[in-house]
Amino acid sequence: MKFRRQTKLLVEPPAVATGDIAFNLIVFFLVCASVEPEQGRAQVIPRAEKESRQQQTKHLEVDLTRTAVFLNGNPLTVAQFEKQIRGSLADKAREEDRIVGIKCKPDVPYAHWMNVSGAIEQAGGIVTLVREERVNVQ
Amino acid sequence: MPLPRRKHIAEVPSVAMGDIAFLLLIFFVILARARDDSHIAWVPASGASLSKPATMRISVAIDRDNVTYLNGQRISHEQLGPALWNPEGAGDKGLLYNVPAGRRTVLLKIHKDATAQFFEPVIEAVSAAGGELHHVLEETQK
Repeated sequence: MKFRRQTKLLVEPPAVATGDIAFNLIVFFLVCASVEPEQGRAQVIPRAEKESRQQQTKHLEVDLTRTAVFLNGNPLTVAQFEKQIRGSLADKAREEDRIVGIKCKPDVPYAHWMNVSGAIEQAGGIVTLVREERVNVQ
Repeated sequence: MPLPRRKHIAEVPSVAMGDIAFLLLIFFVILARARDDSHIAWVPASGASLSKPATMRISVAIDRDNVTYLNGQRISHEQLGPALWNPEGAGDKGLLYNVPAGRRTVLLKIHKDATAQFFEPVIEAVSAAGGELHHVLEETQK
């Protein structure tokens, strides 16, 4: 008498739980991905100017210190500066006349710089960095 | 004699779920490796009328300790310019090489208290490399 073989040779792995695994993976990565901020403000900055005595330009010049802002040498609060810069740029139609150079002290915080540069851009100005040229003499 | 009723079992097919899980894993791992700067400790400055950037391929960050990072990797100010734009370079020609205008966005994630001596060279290097600056800010609370 012959016996029938009872065991199956082809055994499939259980695939019931993989749906739950996929779902948990989606939730995990979405939670990880959603915390990064990405909103902000675009800014176009022309090439930096190297300051020299011969090349004094007629552009508006803004000097920034840690807490204050100066427009063409006049000290102003940020609120006053917003009004003043709007008035100064109102009658300037040409792009090259709307360039505003920002000169910073090394200890100016980024938040202050962004407030002032944001006010200039809202008034229609084009922000450019004015940096002093450092020459090492030995 | 009553005949036994035949049972019909309807199951949701779950064979493909393993493949889906695997593809999801690969997709998110690639995304995570491309721009991993989540370890950088910084607090954004505030601003109004914010917008989303066109692309998010390149990010330059300055953390609380005024350390500069390019796409999550520490970098010096001198190396930043060539890392973005270096057409004369023998090997790597920079991340912005051959990128068309409008897609050259560089995310700037600068800590709100970082000082000008650290962030000005970064802004200068990015603009000199032809990058389109996008300052990442927090919406001002009204």
